[in-house]
Amino acid sequence: MSLDPLDTPGLPVDPALTIGRVPDRTPEEIPELHEVNCPPELRERVEELISRYPDKHSASIPALWAIQRRYGWCTPEGIRQVAAVMKVTPAYLESVASFYDLLRTEPAGTHQVLVCTNISCWMRGGDELLGAFVEAAGCSAEEAGHGGALSDDGEILISGFECLGACDLAPMASIDERYFGPLETAEAAEAIKQLRTGREVLPDRPLFKRPLPGGAKGVGVDDQ
Amino acid sequence: MKRETREITLVIDGREIAATEGAMLVDAARHGDVEIPVFCYEPKLGQPVGACRMCLVEIEGIPKLQTACSTPVRDGMVVYTQTDQVKEAQNAVVEFLLVNHPLDCPVCDKGGECPLQDISIGWGPGNSRFIEGKRHFEKPLPLSPLVAIDRERCIMCYRCVRFSQEISEDAQLQLLERGDRTYVGTFDERPYIAPFHGNITELCPVGALTSYTYRFRARPWDIEQAGSVCTLCPSQCNVRFTIRDEKVKRVLARDNPEVDDGWLCDRGRYGFEMFGADERITAPMIREGDGFRVASWPEAIERAASGLRTAGSETAALVGDASNEEGYLVQRIIREALGGGDIDSRPGGGADRNLNMRLSDPAISARVADIDTADVVLVLGVDPIHSAPILDLRVRKAVRRSGTLLAIATDRPSALDGGATAVARSHPRHTAAMIEEIRNGTGDGAEIAALLEDAEDIVVIWGERVAREGRAVESLLGLAADLKLSEGERSGLIGVPELANGRGLREVGCLPDAAPGLGETGKGPGRDTGAIREALIADQLKALILFGSDPLRDAPDSSGWEEALTQVGFTVAFSMFGDASTARADVVFPLETFAEKEGTVTHMEGRLQRVRPSAKRPGDVRPGWQILAEISASLGDETGISSAPDALLAVADSVSFYAGLTAEEIGGRGIRWQDRTAAESLPASTGVGVTDGHSEHPKSTPAPDPGGALRLGTFRDLWANEVTELNPALRFLTQQQRLEIAPVDAERLGISQGEEVEVGQNGNSVKARVVLRERQLPGVVFLIEGTLEGNANELVHGPARTVEIRKAEGH
Amino acid sequence: MISETRVLLANAQEPGLNTIDIYKRLGGYESLEKAYLHMEPHDVLTELEDSGLRGRGGAGFSMGKKASFLPRGEMAKYLCCNADESEPGAFKDRELMQRNPHQLIEGIAIAALAADAGHAFVFIRGEYDLQAGILEAAVAEAYEAGYLGRDILGTHRDLELVVHRGAGAYICGEETALLDALEGKRGNPRLKPPFPAIQGLYGGPTLINNVETLSNVPHIVRHGADWFKGFGTEQSPGTKVVSISGCVRRPGNYEVELGVPLRDLIFGLAGGPLEGREIKAFYPGGSSSPVLTPAELDLPYSFEAMAEAGSMLGSGSVIVADDSVSIPHMALRTARFYHHESCGKCSPCREGTNWTVKMLERVVGGEATPMDLDIISSVQTNIIGNCLCVLGDSMAMPVSSMVRKFRDEFEAVMSGADVVTRTADAAEADPAGSLL
Ligand SMILES: Cc1cc2nc3c(=O)[nH]c(=O)nc-3n(C[C@H](O)[C@H](O)[C@H](O)COP(=O)(O)O)c2cc1C
Ligand code: SF4
Ligand code: FES
Repeated sequence: MSLDPLDTPGLPVDPALTIGRVPDRTPEEIPELHEVNCPPELRERVEELISRYPDKHSASIPALWAIQRRYGWCTPEGIRQVAAVMKVTPAYLESVASFYDLLRTEPAGTHQVLVCTNISCWMRGGDELLGAFVEAAGCSAEEAGHGGALSDDGEILISGFECLGACDLAPMASIDERYFGPLETAEAAEAIKQLRTGREVLPDRPLFKRPLPGGAKGVGVDDQ
Repeated sequence: MKRETREITLVIDGREIAATEGAMLVDAARHGDVEIPVFCYEPKLGQPVGACRMCLVEIEGIPKLQTACSTPVRDGMVVYTQTDQVKEAQNAVVEFLLVNHPLDCPVCDKGGECPLQDISIGWGPGNSRFIEGKRHFEKPLPLSPLVAIDRERCIMCYRCVRFSQEISEDAQLQLLERGDRTYVGTFDERPYIAPFHGNITELCPVGALTSYTYRFRARPWDIEQAGSVCTLCPSQCNVRFTIRDEKVKRVLARDNPEVDDGWLCDRGRYGFEMFGADERITAPMIREGDGFRVASWPEAIERAASGLRTAGSETAALVGDASNEEGYLVQRIIREALGGGDIDSRPGGGADRNLNMRLSDPAISARVADIDTADVVLVLGVDPIHSAPILDLRVRKAVRRSGTLLAIATDRPSALDGGATAVARSHPRHTAAMIEEIRNGTGDGAEIAALLEDAEDIVVIWGERVAREGRAVESLLGLAADLKLSEGERSGLIGVPELANGRGLREVGCLPDAAPGLGETGKGPGRDTGAIREALIADQLKALILFGSDPLRDAPDSSGWEEALTQVGFTVAFSMFGDASTARADVVFPLETFAEKEGTVTHMEGRLQRVRPSAKRPGDVRPGWQILAEISASLGDETGISSAPDALLAVADSVSFYAGLTAEEIGGRGIRWQDRTAAESLPASTGVGVTDGHSEHPKSTPAPDPGGALRLGTFRDLWANEVTELNPALRFLTQQQRLEIAPVDAERLGISQGEEVEVGQNGNSVKARVVLRERQLPGVVFLIEGTLEGNANELVHGPARTVEIRKAEGH
Repeated sequence: MISETRVLLANAQEPGLNTIDIYKRLGGYESLEKAYLHMEPHDVLTELEDSGLRGRGGAGFSMGKKASFLPRGEMAKYLCCNADESEPGAFKDRELMQRNPHQLIEGIAIAALAADAGHAFVFIRGEYDLQAGILEAAVAEAYEAGYLGRDILGTHRDLELVVHRGAGAYICGEETALLDALEGKRGNPRLKPPFPAIQGLYGGPTLINNVETLSNVPHIVRHGADWFKGFGTEQSPGTKVVSISGCVRRPGNYEVELGVPLRDLIFGLAGGPLEGREIKAFYPGGSSSPVLTPAELDLPYSFEAMAEAGSMLGSGSVIVADDSVSIPHMALRTARFYHHESCGKCSPCREGTNWTVKMLERVVGGEATPMDLDIISSVQTNIIGNCLCVLGDSMAMPVSSMVRKFRDEFEAVMSGADVVTRTADAAEADPAGSLL
């Protein structure tokens, strides 16, 4: 009988299921700063955000935005960097990020086009508009309809989206966080070209140039 | 913190039911024998979440159905749990829950003990109208090396993730995605590795989370359950063994709010496969050359007896993993049969008899349950996560639920730091100074002093290993007096022993200077562990009894022990497994595990608990009390003990404050001796004078060594012991020696994370990997005690404790 | 001929209204000064209660009453402005914040005074980047001018205002989910009770109001409750910014007195259905409201009248479907939205929305039987009233209303009859700005 604690006991355990292997990756606890080398400006930004709130956790969504603005999406490294600054687990931040549609946990290109396909836009051609953008950007219609699709060059993300709060512009799209509409299907290709060539997008279609339907005083008010 | 409770009555389904105001309706109903089905509700997890909607009931005066799990009862409340409206809702919820739940019960480990199965049958519509496709996940996947996750079976009750956020607070297990795409997972698909994570397998109401160690091992109809107590650490959690073919197949929690709140750490939960390990010593053995041969019981007993007889009073004993009965009998052999007095149960020595009597004073001792309601908890010189894991959860619970303020005074960064209001970090072996600073409100102790200032209920959790330091215990008792802990009903000290049954062994006489019941030895103090080592080396002691003790691994100064065990003429070892010290013995007796043993142990709060035989003893293993009684007899001291109850009787007779204790009285939940009248016969301590808090003391953080030498601290890691190595399931947690060092020091020394270094101290040195620790004091480094290689105990001897650090050759 | 009644949208098109100078030139912040310097907080509260102002975010609960629920005392209290506006059909808050941010800030500051809140947050949906930017700039100006921050106008009262951007989740509009999101968690609704007014953000008493609700506050303080009650109906006082969209000629935001006939809104203001089309159905209060039919066009547009008609005014968003729109497809669109937005916390909503979508997909795919219609209806019944929050109900109510009112059309679609799924082409609509 062996008295050497080092040699392995043969146990009545089905080897196929026997565990206790060393896992190939480490568990994700709260990282320490020296483990993540967080860019100073990102760190300062997150610290500033934390200072705005009575509880540091409130900074999580803004902090995830900060990661996304810096890296284009919520990269695992970015999440670990911010987790180290916030002293929370990366798992917590990923959990929050994955809940929200605008926080992307996968590469999202340099331009994002969100096309509303909800009720009002759908009635006015939202599906066709999405189709036109998909075609113009050259990406998968299937994916575009389910969370977003990247153009072949990985530059442009096209995504069908729920109501963006601009049914008055139906059918409309949010291009790099600015609203445009109502859009003709033909304007999709134009917009993509402008994005690719870095020119102003659809100069006469942005929301902010649009007056109230009732004009300056309101329907019927002038003529009273 | 005080809690008022008022008894009220409400009416459920026409029956009057008495309840405590504010209790949740489900619980009140259960007490009135009305069962309301639940999935997400689990009071142990804190506030109800009302997510699954299974518990909807009708309450008079409220139009919408209400969730009984989150509705506090009021006096005169009228509730209906059987109306059509309620039945429809229950059917609806069950139907919804089954929409995405596979019907693979026949191949599911939960089958037969599955709440979803039971509730579907009891409260469901019987058939589902859902004919669309269910959601699919790869199944099952390893969530950790110990737990498999089958996401298709998950019903989103959030129990597991709530455990991770709100109980263990490791926040590793999270919900990902949203809506019906939601799934349980970890960051970046990393493994979920945290000391308590096994509890999620007990929380999961379906077969989504299962332990690999139990998958396909047994079915509910061919197993039995047996209750016992886990003696792998001082927490002494209550457990339920799942037994099949007289073998332990699974360890579950046996909820005892006084002790463990119904949680287990992974060491206790997965540390059972070793019961059947090859290393188990299954018969008595006698040395033959460099090896052993199996011997008959009479032969082995005679061999042991004769060896001890020759050494007579020059025999010493170290007691480790032992029940009260076993400890009592070992000290009796030393004191009565052999007329000696050198016995200890503390690897590094500790407080003297008088201090121990003062520490045992019921007035200043707190219950574990007092932590829940304390205004302030002070954790002193111990990190519960390593020394008594379940206390870590208990403290977190108090902070989270009762707003308890947490103060931490330790040398090494503690797992509890994050939730603490005040943290004071002392240098290793400067606990006494730290306590004095707290008492005087000076230096680093000031912040903690301020917290304690205006607190009423105070619980001090302290590590008994600080007693290795000269004056620490006097200072602690002084602090207790300053804080008037003896006056507060719910205030007091909780000492965390170094050994699982450390308190019991102390009380049954396994101390050099105290007989059973902390009584007089009659012939002055004997030698403690350290002195025994020296005396063995100096050949002043001729024989040694090691009872469940492995000094080569666990005691300070490994090389000293090496020498001592080589020197000593005769050694009798009692051991479960062949550890290094046992390998040096002349006679080896097998020991029972806590799944086989019958006896009592004493929990750190003074609670006597029963260890009960649940599984079959392998081979020719016999009860420890029996072996000891026979040796004692053949040494001429007839104990008259011929059964486990006899042994308990003997203990109860000789420990004054255990007087009259019986197994029945201890029962399944245990009983604190302080709560029995016999407690009065605790011998009165002398010189209860309080050290004045203002005497001159060294600072708790002395100036850095001019030569830049680093001070060494050591600690016992949760996983640095044989349990980790003997259980395949846990082996991945085996700790390699690591040097924990503050980033500034690492920089100064030009060493970096993960690098291998040599840590040396006059002559001896060990290899370790560098780990940077932001929260660690500069000037101090830490090593782990008890690692298989590079055991820090190699370096722990003599007062000088500074180390030199060199990059390891070839690196 | 109906005309708009502009209170909140008055001056809306004044160039530079989003800057503090122009806003003040037009009388801005006078109400704040009046409230802070010349009124007792509880008088402000009474004024708001007397005005009868009802919440514009959906529930229509009395704003003043809700504010009065907050316990008094030392504990930290909070005010949250709900600017999540994510319900299909709603886009009024966008307009109000983009064109007149200071009106909202002034309303928040006054409401905070009435509720004794020291910390306020505007939770604005992440998609509203332009508006969030405008609002943040305005907040900076207000701090600069001493209307926010420490010791406002020397009254020793403080108010911190933080613009907090959401990140794309409709459920965060639900007030308790909003609180969780603000606390940095996933936006899951909480059990009620406790209600936010008692135990809300960070466990403190919290007043939660919609952008439009709060934008009304300065006007009520300036002109008094009676003036306010001069508009609208007895139970629905005041004006309402109504978002009209779908199959109409002039979609957009119009501000009218509550109680005007729906017909005037849809025909008079929004120009009625497109060329050669007829109205088939409409949601009177956003996608969560049970649909109404042309027969109900002459009802007054008020909280009470919509409730009586078995629907609701909700956020005041009218979505019009004409005879080219397939109701089953519209039901599917509606269900898909709620399925996508369900937070997943409670079973009936998580699984019910998912199940409903799958069944409706079979319906429009012509793979369903009339029995499926009954199951669809019964699943909606099983959802209603059994969820943690009302998101589930918000799908179940309109969907079941459509199945009930247009069952024959569902059966037609199931039998494979090819139904147009939407109006011909966006081009049919008036091109933007053609009005002016
Ligand atoms: C699913 C759901 C979404 C909601 N979304 C919004 C919203 O986007 N904006 C809003 O003001 N209220 C929304 N509400 C209503 C809020 O819960 C809350 O009643 C309202 O913000 C209170 O403000 P008020 O009293 O001023 O209307 C929503 C409610 C539910 C159940
Ligand atoms: S895995 Fe089990 S415990 Fe966790 S949420 Fe799913 S059903 Fe609940
Ligand atoms: S048990 Fe009450 S909602 Fe889950």
